[in-house]
This record gives sequence, structure tokens and C-alpha cells, in this order.
Amino acid sequence: MLYRSGFGTMLRESNNAFSVIESVHVLSITLLFGTIAVLDLRMLGLLLRSVSVSSVARSVLPLTWSGFAVSVVSGFLLFWAEAEKMYANPSFRAKLLLLALAGINALVFHSTIYRRVHEWERQHVSPWRARATAITSLMLWSGVIIAGRAIAYF
Amino acid sequence: MGLHGWFMALAHSPLGHAMQTSRWGFAVVEMVHLLGLALLGGSVLIVDLRLLGVILKGESAITISRDLNRLLLGSLSVMVLSGIALLSEEAGKCYYSPAFRWKMALLAAAVVFYFTLHRLALVRADSGKPTLWPRIAACISLLLWLGVGVAGRAIGLL
Repeated sequence: MLYRSGFGTMLRESNNAFSVIESVHVLSITLLFGTIAVLDLRMLGLLLRSVSVSSVARSVLPLTWSGFAVSVVSGFLLFWAEAEKMYANPSFRAKLLLLALAGINALVFHSTIYRRVHEWERQHVSPWRARATAITSLMLWSGVIIAGRAIAYF
Repeated sequence: MGLHGWFMALAHSPLGHAMQTSRWGFAVVEMVHLLGLALLGGSVLIVDLRLLGVILKGESAITISRDLNRLLLGSLSVMVLSGIALLSEEAGKCYYSPAFRWKMALLAAAVVFYFTLHRLALVRADSGKPTLWPRIAACISLLLWLGVGVAGRAIGLL
């Protein structure tokens, strides 16, 4: 239904509009994954060790959320244009699943171990639960990007 | 050997043959290129936003940059290596592509800028003197790197 709508059709058939939106979507991974990766690497004790975890988070998370907003909006527009093909595409479904898991990972982290961040934020290497979250985050978001690229091949 | 000769040599190299004949080769290398892009972009963003005084204001710009330098150069290396592999698959197309040439020019400019004037800006930011140059340097850096990304997208689209 989205696919056959006027806007969806216009988007799909307008090479320029689709290309621009797709480019925005691809480049937004820097704002989304690139920034959260820095927070993850901090918790793994690999960089910015002299900066407290909450300072890094305070700087990074607004950027990550902005990137997420841009990704979701541009992604939805791309989906709107190609809905019929996307719906059945196994890579697209995998991408959404990984995206949901990444969200759950973040939610669990923020409602549990992060609540007590002030107890451990100055440590160079964070507690194992934080590290597990960081590794999971890096893997899941990489998976989202990989699945996203693989869409074109199915 | 002229520039065109180098491109053709790459296309005919073992790497080129592997990339051209492999079904998934291009896709996998492109995925690596994308992951590198995300990490490179993230490091550039954080260093330059610090220079602009938007984030991590309480921390030394030089310390932040020194730490992120490893991530930045590491991801840049990954992008250069994967980029060469991608180039070996479509060397002819890239040679004649204005978008590719723009990308290479902007990349060279971004890297040179990073190792020179950008460094000065970091020292300036930490010295406590007025922050005009750090802010300008951050904007130039962000624009150059963004240009590389946009030109890269344009290669496939134009």
C-alpha cells in the first residue's frame, strides 16, 4: 500500500531524490555508529581513559540519538519507496531484528549497570557487565550496517 | 608508467582478478569500507566538536585527539586498503569518474589538513587563547571529510 502511494512512487522513480535520501542514510552511520562506538571503546578501556564514562556518554549520546533520528527518517522514506521489495527481503528483516536487539541492549544497560555509573566511571576499564554491553553494541550495530548493505544482494 | 597505466595494472593484478571474479568479494569489501567509514566519521566528529567547544569542554583537546588519533588513523587505514580493493574491481570506471577524482583530492586535502593546521588548532584550543582558529579549523575539517563521503557516494550514482 505504501509502495503504490503517490509519494512512494514519486520517490522510487525520482532518481535524484532517492539517491540523496540513500546517501543521507548511509552517511548517518557515522553520526549513529561512529559515536556510540567511542562510548563502547571507552568502557572497554581502549580510549579516553582519563575521561569519566558519564562525561563521554553525555557528549556522545545526543549525537548518537541525532544519528538515529536521521537514520530512521531516511530509512523510513527509503522503505516507503521500495516497500514491496523490502518486505520480503531476508536481509532487511535481519537488519530490523538486529536493530531491535541493539535497542534492547541499550535499554537494559541504561536501566541497570548504568544507574550506578558514578561508582565505576573513573575506572580505566569498566565492570564486566558494561564491557559485555559494549561488545554486544559494537557487534549488533556492525550487523545492522552489514545487513543493510546486503539488502541490495537479495 | 602514466596514471592510467597504474589503474590498469591494479585492475590486472591478482587482487583485481580476485575482486572481479568473486561473487561476494565486492560486497564484503564494501561492508568493511562502510564500517571503517562509520568509525572514521565518529572520531572526526568527536575531535572537531571538541574544537568547536560543543562537547567534552572540560577535557584537553590534545588528550582527546591523541586518543582518538589511533581510532581515526586505524579506520582510515582500513578504508584505504578496502578502497584499493574496491578500486581494483572497477579501476577503469573510477579513472574516468569526476566524482572519484574529487574524492581523492578531498581525501588528500583532509589528511594533509589533519596533520598540519588542525594540529595547530588543537594546541590553540588548549592554550586558553581565543578560540577562533580552532572553530574555523574544525569547520574546514568537517567539510573536507563530509566532501570525501559525498563524493564517494557520487561515484556509484553519477
